[in-house]
Amino acid sequence: MQHRTITALPVVGAIAILIATACTTGGQTTASPTAAASEQPQKGGRIIEGTISDIATMQPILVNDTASGRITDLIYENLLIQDPQNGETKPRVATFSQSTDGLTYTYEINAKANWSDGKPIIADDVLTALEGYGKSKKTVRKSNFQDVVGFKDYSDGKATTIPGFKADSSNPKKFSITLTKVSCPAINDLNIKPLPTQIFGKYVQDSSKDEIDSAPENTQPTVFSGQFKFVEWRKGDQVILSKNDTYWQGAPNVDQYIYKVLANQTAVANALKTGEITFYVGLQAKDLADMQTVDSVQIQKYPALGYTFIGWNTASPTAVGLGDKRVRQALAFGIDMDQVIKAVVFGEATKNLAHHVKVQWAYPTSNLNQYTYDKNKALQLLKDAGWTPGADGILQNAQGKKFNLTISTNSGNTERETLAQVAAEQYKALGINAKAAPEAFQGLVTKLTTGDSTLEATIIGWSLTGDVDPYSIWHSSNIPDPASGKTGFGFTYFKDPAMDKAIEEARNPSNSDCSTAARKKQYETFNQILNENQPYNFGYENNTIAVSQKTMHNFAPAPYSTIYNAFQWWVKQ
Amino acid sequence: MRNFIARRLLYAVPTLIGISIITFAIARLSPGDPIRLFTFGIQDFTQDDYNRLLHAYGLDKPLPFQYVDWITNALRGKFGDSLIYHRDAFVMLLERLPNTLQLASAALLLQLVIGVPLGVIAALRRGSWVDGLIRVFGVAGHAIPAFWLGLVLIIIFAVNLRLLPSIGMLTVGHDQLDIVDRLRHLILPAFVLSLTGIANYCRILRTETLDVLAQDFVRTAHAKGLRERTVVFVHALRNALIPVVTALGGILAALVGGALVIEQVFSWPGVGQFTFQAAIAKDYPIVQASVMFTSTLLVISYLLRDLAYAIVDPRVKVS
Repeated sequence: MQHRTITALPVVGAIAILIATACTTGGQTTASPTAAASEQPQKGGRIIEGTISDIATMQPILVNDTASGRITDLIYENLLIQDPQNGETKPRVATFSQSTDGLTYTYEINAKANWSDGKPIIADDVLTALEGYGKSKKTVRKSNFQDVVGFKDYSDGKATTIPGFKADSSNPKKFSITLTKVSCPAINDLNIKPLPTQIFGKYVQDSSKDEIDSAPENTQPTVFSGQFKFVEWRKGDQVILSKNDTYWQGAPNVDQYIYKVLANQTAVANALKTGEITFYVGLQAKDLADMQTVDSVQIQKYPALGYTFIGWNTASPTAVGLGDKRVRQALAFGIDMDQVIKAVVFGEATKNLAHHVKVQWAYPTSNLNQYTYDKNKALQLLKDAGWTPGADGILQNAQGKKFNLTISTNSGNTERETLAQVAAEQYKALGINAKAAPEAFQGLVTKLTTGDSTLEATIIGWSLTGDVDPYSIWHSSNIPDPASGKTGFGFTYFKDPAMDKAIEEARNPSNSDCSTAARKKQYETFNQILNENQPYNFGYENNTIAVSQKTMHNFAPAPYSTIYNAFQWWVKQ
Repeated sequence: MRNFIARRLLYAVPTLIGISIITFAIARLSPGDPIRLFTFGIQDFTQDDYNRLLHAYGLDKPLPFQYVDWITNALRGKFGDSLIYHRDAFVMLLERLPNTLQLASAALLLQLVIGVPLGVIAALRRGSWVDGLIRVFGVAGHAIPAFWLGLVLIIIFAVNLRLLPSIGMLTVGHDQLDIVDRLRHLILPAFVLSLTGIANYCRILRTETLDVLAQDFVRTAHAKGLRERTVVFVHALRNALIPVVTALGGILAALVGGALVIEQVFSWPGVGQFTFQAAIAKDYPIVQASVMFTSTLLVISYLLRDLAYAIVDPRVKVS
């Protein structure tokens, strides 16, 4: 009897746990914000955004991570803004114009724009930021300013001024920046955040060292131009901001903006359900169905600014078939991407066909090959390329070399690991001896950028923020060379002179025309070449899933920005 | 006693040097380049930029030179600037240490307050259903993975019953000195972190108490007509507690290290979570500072254990 009681207890406990965990909050969620337009915004309250990583710095010059980018975007205003929906560059705190020779950009800062200490935001504050990039030893963005006249000499310590920057002596809010050559991405590269000279001036004006990298105000800023002001950074836990009453577009409705650090996506999902956070952008697709059962939240979905792809090493010494365009096309026809999207990301993505994605203005309007799943066509293309089934059913070429294919991806990313497995299974059906090989991201990144020849196929993703210029990824000058130690992101080893020319013309046009229409024409050619040659299987564009409490209003996140209108958000009390 | 302490501290030096070499070697020789990692995908990032950053972080020197630089500075308390945060790694570690110590101390308290009495009760009720129940609890405490239990408790008590918070140390917006709110946040993570320890103490105390109760001096105490409570709590328990002191050695260091998983589950902003994220990002200075700190803590706690052992058990002489 005694023994029976003991063994029964865990069972009772397990049942109790099952019952308790089975309880779910019923109800439907909306697919778009439910904020009633007729409702008047209420003042007060706080917004708590969830994040899965703490910020690293609040110095815009040093920012190199999403979390730090979010906070600096909230406390320091950019000169310009990329349209939240399509990325076109537009005025924000400054208006801009380009000279007819395309070499000089002239800006004028809004007359109402002041720092939180009451001082006006002026051209000198932009110069302070520019000089900060020059002085910093740890910024990763120095190359953004490489075309500014005199910047390199200033950065190398050979000059004490940057002659390419000129403040207007008659209007302290007006200035111009001159480039050594026409550079279309420059308008976005130069889109910096003015820094308060009264705070950071001392770190760039009187010193040739790198004090800007270790300035105490990098972690404890005191003067602001953005929608919110910094209050406190509880390390590893949260960043507390308060509304900036002097913000040039008007004081925000909410009193506080909290950036709350959570350990992982599971904690995020739980905190959304309990109401411990107000919103989160980037919910995993696997958590969507569960979240849709929660009454208290609303869900918004929109295309992400990036894509997940399988990159083929076209110079692979082991998977030699990848050097043949017909084989790469066969690998596009031979994978049912629509089914893959359903299996891997629960349908929360759309098939991608070239480098630029649909939300970018550079997305091609011409007809691209859709590579609709067609196994027979894939087999025919492989046969045309000389790959026929051997006795064991594995494809082999005329020299008897079997078609082995290892698909690498970063371990721990369950979406990519699943994609690698599913892709390998589908390629096996074509007779390719494919296998998935997850490995640590740290090692994989080094292999990719150094052009490690052992990589045959790699699943990874690009985030396409900033300018649409694809130079770093696709221009042949960025193909790595292990022999010389040259590194780059061109790890497919694919190059095409016509593609190089299109990239160059859209980047540094010979006729100085940086208009969207002119660049778009070049990118049509560029994307068609990629679509035709398939150095990547361009995979899919994920949906971004944003979840917010229904009490939150005017929240309208978009591919290029989440917080562009944070001053208009309000919370129903 | 003084000589004993000096000798033990002397022994600790080669141990810590060995740990420093192993830590440095593992961190640096594992695949991956931190600069490549945090600059992956940045447009127009050039080889010159890469070389500049390598130099700025002192990663362009040969490894032995890097080690000498690091250990020399570490002896002065400077473990180098974090590659990600651009701040002193050790200072950042110390900023998070109170959070972890808070969690670890609460877990230690729970282990002793729950584990010791349960062990004694199980021994005194040997063979009864109470003993059986406590033993099942002991096995479960060892067997249940902490991350799983943490998630289940969050779903039950935070998501469904809304009785306790699911994340962090303090409700957003609450006063930092709101003790009640802090305690509410502490309940679940401290319990989960303490579970293995409770089971451990429970098992040790049960065995030791049974052992002590069977010894002659206890029989003598009974024969002298002492009350049962006096026999158990004054004579038996003091002797049974000696192995607990042994087990206490290193427990705080183990808790600080072991809090990694719990801090991940409960989004507790402590050293474990911080080190875990630094390891993923290959932020060498933080990983090295964290391992050296925990190792030093372990060495010190073993020393304290030996001293405490000598105090509670007169048969042990520190000499």
